[in-house]
Amino acid sequence: MMRSVLSAVAACCLVAPLVFPSAAAAQTQEVEVDNCRACHLVLGDERLSGPARAFPDDIHEARGFGCVACHGGDATDPGIAAMDPAKGFLAKPDRGDVPEFCGRCHSDAEFMRRYNPSLRVDQVAEYTSSVHGRRLMELGDLKAATCVSCHPAHSIRPPSDPLSSVNPLNVPATCAACHGDAEYMEPYRIATDQLERYHRSVHWEAMSIGGDMSAPTCNDCHGNHGAAPPGISWVGNVCGQCHSVMADLFAESRHARTFAMLGMPGCATCHNNHDITRPTDELLGLEEGAVCARCHSAGDPGGQVASAMRSLIDSLAMAYHEADSILERAENAGMEVSQALFELNGANTALVSARAAVHAFNVIAVKNDVEEGLEIAATAHELGRQAADRIQFRRVGLAVSVMIIVALILGLLLKIREIEHRAPQT
Amino acid sequence: MLSRTLTTWLLSTSLGGLVLAVLYPTGRYLVPPAAAESASASVTLPFAPDDMQPNSAEIFRFGSRPGILVRTPSGEFRAFSAACTHLACIVQYRGDIGHIWCACHNGHFDLNGRNIEGPPPTPLETYTVNVRDDQIVVSRGA
Repeated sequence: MMRSVLSAVAACCLVAPLVFPSAAAAQTQEVEVDNCRACHLVLGDERLSGPARAFPDDIHEARGFGCVACHGGDATDPGIAAMDPAKGFLAKPDRGDVPEFCGRCHSDAEFMRRYNPSLRVDQVAEYTSSVHGRRLMELGDLKAATCVSCHPAHSIRPPSDPLSSVNPLNVPATCAACHGDAEYMEPYRIATDQLERYHRSVHWEAMSIGGDMSAPTCNDCHGNHGAAPPGISWVGNVCGQCHSVMADLFAESRHARTFAMLGMPGCATCHNNHDITRPTDELLGLEEGAVCARCHSAGDPGGQVASAMRSLIDSLAMAYHEADSILERAENAGMEVSQALFELNGANTALVSARAAVHAFNVIAVKNDVEEGLEIAATAHELGRQAADRIQFRRVGLAVSVMIIVALILGLLLKIREIEHRAPQT
Repeated sequence: MLSRTLTTWLLSTSLGGLVLAVLYPTGRYLVPPAAAESASASVTLPFAPDDMQPNSAEIFRFGSRPGILVRTPSGEFRAFSAACTHLACIVQYRGDIGHIWCACHNGHFDLNGRNIEGPPPTPLETYTVNVRDDQIVVSRGA
């Protein structure tokens, strides 16, 4: 019996038509008995029973689509005739046909509007422009990713589902299933350490620890259905989606033209790409660890600009931290310094702006912000110093008060003793 | 004789000091320093509702932190922390686009404080605004 069922399935696979029916065929079917699953669940072959077991968690099941919505056939027929090609049955599509198979519905705007009006319907069009799509369709590379590589067939969940393979937190692992497999990727001669490097990045930290689901993951820079390397001519188009101030300043700078001329990848030249760590002031200047020093030295104008900008940033950072420190000590000692701390927020704003202005590679741009911040920090520091002076005055006052009280107690004791000594004589 | 003199001196000096130690703090209490009120839970803003035009905003001090009071184009008052949730720059109001905006890294928040564009990872902290006659009182929490 089992052998006959498997034979029938195999036969159906061989005769499946290459042209798939349109979305109109993929209607929800109100079936009293789903014979597809009833039968497949008891099949011994994991390839045939696995999809039936997984499907209850699939978004398509939740929307009322059964097996026949994609595979055709007749779910009401309990026999092998349910998988008759004459009833529109389609077996498992060839890997190369998967985009077209899914696109029957997902590229049909009118059909998709009925179930999810906000969902885009250009996934297949984007896919054909992707590196994956071009390799599959132009080169016949069946190792290239298709829809089911990222959206596992029969257990597809929406991106908002934490268990979804395309939930932002899971996207890196989904991509790394292929891109982290050195053996699988060997023919393409590209690196396979992206996931390891991404896990060291500030973006992954923001997402995985900070819980910021808008932090960039693979598809935010590479695209999802149209996935491709972002291109090295102007990576700022990618980074600038979020870091627009720095991207705009950089685009107007001398470095943008020089980097383009030398074929250097813009932002990634200094900040790397997958392992983008939290930037620090140490990246600036000519000292050890500074990225400017990779190209510049103290003798050239660029090196002098880098050193000058670093010096300005350091001066404001130090002034800010000194003012913040003295005010914090005063606040902890119980002094009212909230006005000074409030003012000091302006120095932090100036410091953050100055750090962004570094991307113009212009000392004047940095200097304007730094001077404004230094003035605020100096005022706050003076208020902190006055508060510290008041603390000292109060401490001295307390010591004097204690001495007075001790002297009073001592005087009283002596007076009592004197009175006691005088009493017997009278 | 010497002992009596010493005792009298100690008593008179310390009593005089004690009087000063009581009078000085009392005087400082009656004449408070220039520092403003501490605003840990609520603050009365130093301007009246009519001082603000619709589609405008004012930065105010909430304890040691900056706050921003926005009067929406429809005239409603809304208050938020003015410290950007990205790197704590002080935000401002952009009447031309109706957004709260952080100039440091071009972060945008809507008039519900939600981060809608740019690097800010989370919404701005929202404060409660109560308008009583010509006073605006901003409070933390509901």
